[in-house]
Amino acid sequence: MAPIAGSALSFAKPVKATNTNLLSFAGGRKGNAFLRMQPMPMRFAVCCSAKKETVEKVCDIVKKQLALPEGTEVSGASKFSDLGADSLDTVEIVMGLEEEFHISVEESSAQSIATVEDAAALIDKLVAAESPKSQC
Amino acid sequence: MLASVSSLVQTNKRLDTDANIDPRSFEFKKNKFGKPEILWQSDESSMEWPLHFNISHTSSLIACGIAMDTPIGIDVEEKKRKTVKSILSLARRYFTPSEVDYLAKISDSDAQQKEFIKLWTLKEAYVKALGRGFSGAPFNRFSIQLETNSRIQISKAAKVCNDSASGCDYLSENWRFALAELNSSYYMSVCIEDNSRGFENDSVPLGLKVWKTIPFIEDTLVSGTDAVKLIT
Repeated sequence: MAPIAGSALSFAKPVKATNTNLLSFAGGRKGNAFLRMQPMPMRFAVCCSAKKETVEKVCDIVKKQLALPEGTEVSGASKFSDLGADSLDTVEIVMGLEEEFHISVEESSAQSIATVEDAAALIDKLVAAESPKSQC
Repeated sequence: MLASVSSLVQTNKRLDTDANIDPRSFEFKKNKFGKPEILWQSDESSMEWPLHFNISHTSSLIACGIAMDTPIGIDVEEKKRKTVKSILSLARRYFTPSEVDYLAKISDSDAQQKEFIKLWTLKEAYVKALGRGFSGAPFNRFSIQLETNSRIQISKAAKVCNDSASGCDYLSENWRFALAELNSSYYMSVCIEDNSRGFENDSVPLGLKVWKTIPFIEDTLVSGTDAVKLIT
């Protein structure tokens, strides 16, 4: 198939085809935007920012899932939309996070996640809810 | 931003070709769930029915589906897309029990992976047609039945719907699907509302036409050729 004109461009912000109400990673090399990210007001309050080790674990899981090239920087500030995850990548990342942290992520609670830090903060909150003593 | 513009330019061009409307007159908006739509003027006199569209991307393909007077959802994926997690573990987490059973019965792993991708694109096409987002139509609340040589069916997953607090209020079953293989490399699923009003319409074709477009270079009707193999 002939290459699409513009295929050398980075699909940083593809047309947003569906709902903002969920975790989504549209952009980069793929933009299958059934799940999609954009900056949104936080719908839940976190009592503290995410723990460093949680952020690191999320970064590891994301790097592994997306098979990012060696040296690609993924940090708390990394936006999922910029990392190039499509919907399948997204659900695999969510599954990976659930397995790693022994939590269950509902579609609706993932809606305000835009960055790795946001995901880590949600994880810390869910983990704290599972455990009897407050983690904050 | 560039990808958005190019997708919209493609949409504009295709809409223009079909509808004989000046593409500059198209305006776009988002529904309350963020789905891009055409802002249809109620006094639009040159077209009897509103146009609907939906877009899907892979790394090397953009697909834009257009329909008259019916919401549409479209999804494309590479046929050989590999997952990091196993197919059955993904299905168990996100699909319905009947879909898991369907996949589990396939012993050949390549064939199983392909059926998973087919189901994935069909389910995505439905969610996108509904336009309420993933949380408006969670994958485990509806089942797609893929039987050879018969129409793709969708049904609510009764047990999950009865158990969940919000039920499956927004899930409807009156939708039609088309599943096709593009260039032997991609699966494409299209979902539109079924307005047959109860008539038996297995014999009524969806009237799907597919164009291969390279922006500003080529625009060829490819449905009916080997480039588009209808699976159902």
